[in-house]
Amino acid sequence: MLNKPLTQFLLACALALILPLALKSGVLASEILVYGLAAAACNLLLSYTGLLSFGQGVFFGVGSYLAALLLTRAGVGAPLSLIACALVGAALATFVGAISIRRQGVYFVMLTLAFAQFFYFLAYTFQDVTGGDNGILDVPRPIIAGRALASPWSYYVFVAVVFLVLFAALLQATRSMFGRTLLAIRENEERAAAIGYPVKAFKIAAFALSGAVTGVAGGLDAMLIGGAPLSNIEYHSSETILIMTVIGGGNLIASLLGAGAYLILGDLLSDVWPRWLLLFGLFLIVVALFFQGGLWGLVELAARRSERADEAEA
Amino acid sequence: MVYLFQILNGLGLGVIYFLLAVGLSVIFGLLRFVNFAHGAFYMVGAYLTYEATRDGASFWLALPLAALGVAALAGLVEALLLRRVYKLDHAYHILVTVGVALVIQELTIIIWGPIGASVAPPSSLSGVLILGQFIYPQYRLFVIGFTAILALLLWWLLEGTRLGALVRAGSESAETMALLGFDTPRINTAVFALGAGLAGLAGALAAPIRGVEPFMAVEAVGVAFAVVVIGGMGSYLGALAASLLVGVIQGVMATLWPQGASLMIYLTMAALIAVRPRGLFGRA
Repeated sequence: MLNKPLTQFLLACALALILPLALKSGVLASEILVYGLAAAACNLLLSYTGLLSFGQGVFFGVGSYLAALLLTRAGVGAPLSLIACALVGAALATFVGAISIRRQGVYFVMLTLAFAQFFYFLAYTFQDVTGGDNGILDVPRPIIAGRALASPWSYYVFVAVVFLVLFAALLQATRSMFGRTLLAIRENEERAAAIGYPVKAFKIAAFALSGAVTGVAGGLDAMLIGGAPLSNIEYHSSETILIMTVIGGGNLIASLLGAGAYLILGDLLSDVWPRWLLLFGLFLIVVALFFQGGLWGLVELAARRSERADEAEA
Repeated sequence: MVYLFQILNGLGLGVIYFLLAVGLSVIFGLLRFVNFAHGAFYMVGAYLTYEATRDGASFWLALPLAALGVAALAGLVEALLLRRVYKLDHAYHILVTVGVALVIQELTIIIWGPIGASVAPPSSLSGVLILGQFIYPQYRLFVIGFTAILALLLWWLLEGTRLGALVRAGSESAETMALLGFDTPRINTAVFALGAGLAGLAGALAAPIRGVEPFMAVEAVGVAFAVVVIGGMGSYLGALAASLLVGVIQGVMATLWPQGASLMIYLTMAALIAVRPRGLFGRA
């Protein structure tokens, strides 16, 4: 019931409305949606196709760089820049995906990680384009219909709209024939291939879609923080997106929860103690050992409990 | 001739990468486990050496202490945490080892502070060797020789002993091994401790060359993974060839185009896996 695409979409809308009420910082709220989008795209591969990609930071980082370059040097507007991010993200993901899916399981993970490192050092080496350690600075917030969305909360509205459109697109993809075929591949790749599905083409297409959405998330992030830092394409970026996805759980809305929990927890803990990553490390270990369904698993558990309580009353 | 010198420099790096990568590869081969905490164990090895020599212990005592200390720590981590997630998806392997790596990194900063430090090479090896017009630090020469002997011992351990046979049998079919009555959990712990201990030893050997700092782990994980991908996962010979190759690329690039040294490693890797996804010596 909770897993239905429509329910997930309504939950996403509700969360996008609640965030401004619950959080003081418009930057943090926008960040949650940006990373929620990236994590959902990662989850399209992880939970819906069975591909654990450690290279999502490549598409995120390239999206950031591309949007930053188009906005600051080419004078292209925000909407067009984001479309470019989607196209380049898809192209890059097709390339990375096509090579990586030649191996399976843990080998596949290592290949995607290898690509993450490769693109990081590409960005690091060609500082003329990427600005090296400093990154590309002074990326403006978008101007939509003559209105500059300079304040964090006005930009949040823009991010929320893009988020919901792309989130709906991802949901639509999972409930289409395409998505169902991906699930069949995840369940049993050999059987899907034996039935006659072009398994590799489907995996690459999933990668392309994931890369497109992640590229847009990267572009949104550049406009949010006003720059495209080298850290957006670093190995840590891939790691962060993957961890958000795993602690979220097995469907697309869970990824938004994962991103939210990661960022809010980080925000709270880092105020309290500079060594907060120690606690965060322990949190990851606890999730891996005891809550393998992720946060979404807990939500489902709570829902089942209350259902049972209702039945008992009736 | 200049290149000869750079190649020698590169081999000095390469042998350290070899210890790192072969540890990762052994763990991977038996346990099918991606160990993101591998760099953290390397770092702990370096810091233990730093601490021991700072407190006045001889480097020759610090070296085995660091390796054994890391092996013990890793054995504990395996027995308490990792063995609970072997049966789960790779995503949880990553989650738990990233968690362990974060905890170790932060504890290192709490204990030793956020700023790095240098470690002096043992006084008997602090000089340089003069070969015609070249100057080469004695300590690096020692690292190459020491690792070469260790590589042979390790090869014998993995190919010629009962433990090695058990490890290889376990990586073929852990279930059959368990059915035959072998204590696979204990073998797993031993292998994980061995692999991490090698990373610790790599860190200990690297400390006098590169110093210690709390973020050395990330760099090490990256290089070790690249070496394993290039060499072919689970392959001893692959780890050896690839680590020397990566070291030499880095050494030669240091004069040609220092900024692009790391890029060239990953470019080599990308080109290789595009042609040969299994790596140099990996099984299909």
